Amino acid sequence: MVGKLIDIRVLRIVALALLAGLLLPGSVPAVQEHGAPEGIYSHQGAHVFFAASMGLLIFWLRQRRLVREPGWRWIQYAALFFILWNIDAFTAHFLDEQSGVLDTAMAAPGQIKIEVDDHLTSLAWLYYMAKLDHVLSVPAMLFLYAGLRRLLRDARQRRAGAGSP
Amino acid sequence: MIASFWPILMVDVGGSMLMIVLSFLCIGLARRLQGVDPQNVIWTYLFWLCIGLAGFAVSRSAGHILKQALVLSGQKEMWAEIRPFSGAINTFMFVFLASVTLFFERVWKIYEQITADKVALGRAHTELLNLNQNLEQIVTERSRSLAVSERQYRRIFEVSRDMILVVDSQGRIVDINPAGCRELGFGEPGTTPKGERFQVFFEHEDDWRQLKAAIERDGFVANSEITLRRLDGSAMRSLVSASLAVEPSEKEPTIHFQVRDIERRHMAREQMAQADRLASIGQLSSGIAHEINNPLGVILGYTQLMLRSEPGESDRRRDLKTIEKHVRHCKAIVEDLLNFARRSEPKKEKVDIHKTIDDVLAFIRQHSGTNRIDFRTDYDRRLPAMVLDEKKIKQVLINLLMNARHAVGDAGEIRVATAYSPESRQAAIRVTDSGYGIEAQHLQHIFDPFFTTKPTGEGTGLGLSVSYGIVKKHGGEIQVESRPGEGATFTVLLPVLESDSGGSG
Repeated sequence: MVGKLIDIRVLRIVALALLAGLLLPGSVPAVQEHGAPEGIYSHQGAHVFFAASMGLLIFWLRQRRLVREPGWRWIQYAALFFILWNIDAFTAHFLDEQSGVLDTAMAAPGQIKIEVDDHLTSLAWLYYMAKLDHVLSVPAMLFLYAGLRRLLRDARQRRAGAGSP
Repeated sequence: MIASFWPILMVDVGGSMLMIVLSFLCIGLARRLQGVDPQNVIWTYLFWLCIGLAGFAVSRSAGHILKQALVLSGQKEMWAEIRPFSGAINTFMFVFLASVTLFFERVWKIYEQITADKVALGRAHTELLNLNQNLEQIVTERSRSLAVSERQYRRIFEVSRDMILVVDSQGRIVDINPAGCRELGFGEPGTTPKGERFQVFFEHEDDWRQLKAAIERDGFVANSEITLRRLDGSAMRSLVSASLAVEPSEKEPTIHFQVRDIERRHMAREQMAQADRLASIGQLSSGIAHEINNPLGVILGYTQLMLRSEPGESDRRRDLKTIEKHVRHCKAIVEDLLNFARRSEPKKEKVDIHKTIDDVLAFIRQHSGTNRIDFRTDYDRRLPAMVLDEKKIKQVLINLLMNARHAVGDAGEIRVATAYSPESRQAAIRVTDSGYGIEAQHLQHIFDPFFTTKPTGEGTGLGLSVSYGIVKKHGGEIQVESRPGEGATFTVLLPVLESDSGGSG
């Protein structure tokens, strides 16, 4: 019941957002103007939306006990890593936008300079680690690949045995 | 803080390339999953999810690779130009991918519903199949039982000794069993009363009208005594039961008849009544004869004594002769009555019945006074010699042949036939004449003593009575069949005893 309500709400928001995008083009005087910050807000929002959808996928997979099957379990892990990746990317984007607090520049060939206040050195390290986001997204894709492969194998076995999955 | 940029670069470029490769590998797997079961909506969903992921991977990874390439080549400005487009596409792909993911719950429910429907459909199909098989089995069993039942009823219909027939509302015979065909005189193969109107076989037309009215009124008739007329014209007294049958499959009601021939029963009853009557008459006659016989003996004795003392041709002698003649006549009658009453035991001996018949026929021919009567014989040579009182049997044959000769008059045919039935060990002697025959009302009295149709003085009416008594004394039967205008047949049935052996040749 809760899942259904969330579905409808989320779908409505998405539909309205898309409709607004179509009906409200940029520089018409009668409508609101969209400056540069909106891009990062939209992107960050998309990260949140992506992470939330992955969270719901995990919830549904567990609710239906699909995670008992190895294929779906791997897909669950893929969703989990995508959530982590979204958090990571969100953090990196967020820090990118914090000029004055955190600034980056190429120091020398092959070196990056991350400028932060002295008491925020750990923030620089967090930023540096966050920039390595593929460490999370590639495993997510690998888990998805493994999950699909297992589902394919199981489906073929079922087909050979009883018929449908 | 200054750190090496290479890890970031390596992970970014390498990871981006891996993302693109893996996403397309996932599309390939999803496609193969669809190939396994194209109808499975989950596999379709995963395929579109992989498409979304590939779009996401391509848009993001391509942007990252391009960024690194432009930044490292010192073209930051160009990247600044491209960056908003790359970011927007990337954002759109996030949203698309997230939206596709959110459809999982719906798609899964659809999949569950389809699976449940498929299972239900499969179950219904199996049940229908079982039902169909059961139905076929039930139909086969019912058909078999019906066929057995139909055969049983058909057998009852076919082998019944009683006539069973079905007629339509106009009385037309729709179906009739073999016994019915035989009873109505359609015994010849290929002949059938089907299509004939049943009422034409009724002796009296009123009987049919009353019967039909009763059936229409009450729906049935039970044991109604009706006289039917066979194809050859002979009458058949019958016990008729009938019922009205209304079948939904038939346009109009039909009447089912069961007809029992009671003619033989009636005849047997009449014969028994006649036998009882004759036995009573015989008892009475024998009593009278016995009482009269002694005085007649005395009268005859004294008459003969007186005759001895009467010489010549005196009037007294002639009177005595007249007395003697009439007393002898009376004695003969008394003797006949005693024979009829079966008082005297037959003196049995082994007799060739055919020789006896030939002797009698020779005697009759000699005394017939005409040669225009054709005497014919038809002997069954299997008939063995019989133990009989030849003298008395000759008397029976003389009586029957004299009657036959009298019946044919000056010209005609008299046939004597014998038949032997080894099963019942019974011999039959049939005397048939081509005379006028016997009127129906006389048939039941012909064996009564003193019953005669001859003019007064020509017969005593004791011939057939005496014959009846003699045959009965031999343990046999004497029967008569006659129809006015068609002659008469007298049949003497005599038992052939176990001690009799060999044919008469």
